[in-house]
Amino acid sequence: MTESAVRSYYDFYATSVRTQIQTQFQYRAAMWMYTLGMVAEPTIYLVVWTTIARTHGGSVDGVGTGAFAAYYIVWTLVRTMNIVFTPFGWEWRIREGQFSGWLLKPIHPIHYDLASFAGQKVPWIVLYLPIAVALSLVFHPALHPRPVEVVVFLVAIWGAYVIRSMNAFALGMITFWTTRVAAIFQVWFLAELLLSGRLLPLPLMPQWAQTAAAWLPFKWTFYFPIEALVGNMSTGSLVVGLGMQLLWTAIMAGAVLGMWGFALRQYTAVGN
Amino acid sequence: MLRLVGTFLRLGVMNEMQYRTNFFIAAFQSVLAVGVGIAVLALVYSHTTSLNGWTESQLLIILGIQILLGGIVHATIQPNMERVVTEVQDGKLDFALTKPQDSQLIVSVRQLDIWQAVDVVSGAIVVGVGVSRLHGGTGAGHALAFLALLGLGAVFLYCFWLILATGAFWIVNMWFLSELFEGMYQTGRWPIGVYPGWLRYSMTYLVPVGFAVTVPAEALTHRLQWSTVVVAIGFAVVLAAFARWFWRFGLRRYSGASA
Amino acid sequence: MAVVVEVQGLTKLFRVPEREGGLRASLRSLVHRHWREVRAVDGVDFSIEAGEIVGFLGPNGAGKTTTLKMLAGLLYPTGGKAAVLGHVPSRRERDYLRRMTLVMGNRNQLQWDLPALDSFELNRAIYRIPREQFRETRDELVELLDIGDLVRKPVRQLSLGERMKVEVVGSLLHLPQVLFLDEPTIGLDVTMQKRIRTFIAEYNRRYGATVLLTSHYMADVKALCERVVVIHHGKILFDGRLAALADEFAAYKTIEAVLADGERVSIRVPKAETSRRTAELLAEHDVHDLTVEDPPIEDVIEQVFAQ
Repeated sequence: MTESAVRSYYDFYATSVRTQIQTQFQYRAAMWMYTLGMVAEPTIYLVVWTTIARTHGGSVDGVGTGAFAAYYIVWTLVRTMNIVFTPFGWEWRIREGQFSGWLLKPIHPIHYDLASFAGQKVPWIVLYLPIAVALSLVFHPALHPRPVEVVVFLVAIWGAYVIRSMNAFALGMITFWTTRVAAIFQVWFLAELLLSGRLLPLPLMPQWAQTAAAWLPFKWTFYFPIEALVGNMSTGSLVVGLGMQLLWTAIMAGAVLGMWGFALRQYTAVGN
Repeated sequence: MLRLVGTFLRLGVMNEMQYRTNFFIAAFQSVLAVGVGIAVLALVYSHTTSLNGWTESQLLIILGIQILLGGIVHATIQPNMERVVTEVQDGKLDFALTKPQDSQLIVSVRQLDIWQAVDVVSGAIVVGVGVSRLHGGTGAGHALAFLALLGLGAVFLYCFWLILATGAFWIVNMWFLSELFEGMYQTGRWPIGVYPGWLRYSMTYLVPVGFAVTVPAEALTHRLQWSTVVVAIGFAVVLAAFARWFWRFGLRRYSGASA
Repeated sequence: MAVVVEVQGLTKLFRVPEREGGLRASLRSLVHRHWREVRAVDGVDFSIEAGEIVGFLGPNGAGKTTTLKMLAGLLYPTGGKAAVLGHVPSRRERDYLRRMTLVMGNRNQLQWDLPALDSFELNRAIYRIPREQFRETRDELVELLDIGDLVRKPVRQLSLGERMKVEVVGSLLHLPQVLFLDEPTIGLDVTMQKRIRTFIAEYNRRYGATVLLTSHYMADVKALCERVVVIHHGKILFDGRLAALADEFAAYKTIEAVLADGERVSIRVPKAETSRRTAELLAEHDVHDLTVEDPPIEDVIEQVFAQ
């Protein structure tokens, strides 16, 4: 890419992030409410597994209550980073004619999603911090990360965000061909729920789930960032993890770009 | 009043019958949701035999009740409450307020998402399976208590939603409502005993999921105590009265404020 | 003069599912679908030179918006050829997209929740407009349309007319050479309509941009367009100067006379008999004032579309 191209993309993202931070701030009451609903899920898991751990001598398969607490508290941040435009929203988007506007612009529409949701992350992370503190006071997480783990974590959460954005975009594109997409999306999200480490740290899941998870991107968008910070991964495996994220980013980017030509053809046959 | 409810019910069903595919979608979703719930239970019980004193088949009953009540909420309560919120937002509530019947009644029974009621069926099946696996079975008395408390549970959830929706009179933008409820409602999948003290109280009194789900489950699993029943009924009465008062309070403010 | 838009035999067919009402018909349609072919645009030819403002007139469903969308690259033609600024629009080449713009009345391209100014900045980045030039252009356009206080409010808080004004500014920041305007004044009040029209005329004058405008408001066309293309049922019925439209299609003229005793007379006569009847009138009466008028363009158009 030419220098002016790089500069213009950077410009676009920087402008998007800046404006999102400013506008999201207006919605803090609603954001609090949403977060309250969202934080229920990890709290439930945490409470259930801690209860089980306590009746079994303090740990489940070697994972102690402090480790569970750390896992699910970091889980909440990773979950926030994972939020992207839902593929279920594409039907509305197409009907509203949002694409007609985007297709007139000389950039790929995925940048709109990537940039605006990235911008929103900043206020969401700021919102998360007091919640993390509150949860830590109640559940006493065992969290002692090494500096390299922190660095990898900070990179990995953005890697997770990018991969998940591409997943959602690729799924959403299916809506160009048919509006009966609900079932497809739900199967995908079910697989993600079971195989990403969202329910439980992956090593505690049954063997078949762990094997399946190794071949899918879900583990790298959820379990890996959490484990990087919370677990005891060697520097080597941390680097391998980042490499896997890079690999999945490339695969999904390829899928999106590859499908895009066909999707465009399909859309511009009828348009809106 | 009964005739009004009946009319809305008939119209709602007729309306929804047009969308036959919705049935298959709803059924598919229901099966998936039940599947996930059972998978998580299996996961939990692969690591333990008893959670806070509840066995797997007992927890199956809780899961079933939560899904069943969830079906009632998604079919009747939630669509109505969400509609109230959007109408307040768009200033269109006047339409419902100029009818002679009671405003709370109207806004509560207008909508019907009949296909969500599939969850009532799947939930009932799960409860049935759980009961069949229970040691000691269930007597008719327990079953009756269960049904009565289930109804009470629906009342709790309805009041909770009404109070949330009434908040729209003050906070205009309530897009998060559905997520907020779903998040909190998920806590109902587990016996409230697992939650630490202060969380348990919130789960029972602030967000009455505990009363709605766990108490009927206690009826079927021989845990029910008279004191619980009394408190539940009492609380239901108080909550319903408060919800109604709050609704009318918000309504006065709304009609006073709108031009 | 350079030809900017060249269209030959442009065609767009849509396949529309056909279904009758009733329960049995809808059940049948689950098994066997009937498709109907709609010729939205049917073999259209025209070319437009740089700096022209051309109006596309036609009733709803005539094919004007479809034509415009094909020229903007939003729709893929079924047949024929189109070239704008030397590019094939459906290829959506970046260089082409940077030199054109499409504004759709009633449609928002600016971000809904953000103030227009923020959307303008985003456009600046997307179109790679140098900052100095951007600021100059933006300030100039904002002043021309007088929207200084509107651009700081989120777009969703603006009225329909205000939204249209900020949309137009947002779409011109990159100084496109070709403007496609689809019903730009629809739903606006009369003052706003005039504002937009003056603005477009001014932009065309200052920057020599080529403008293609669709509308079913005659006032838009009368105010802005020297040249008019009339489209109906996907075909071009007329392509030429507005004044000539009446000549071609009007069936009658109106003679208005003020007589000596103050009486006003208005006679509608078939076009061919105009001079004879005028002479008759002048001979038989003492006429103080006489005008021979074409029927209002609106009536002419109505007649054209009634065919």
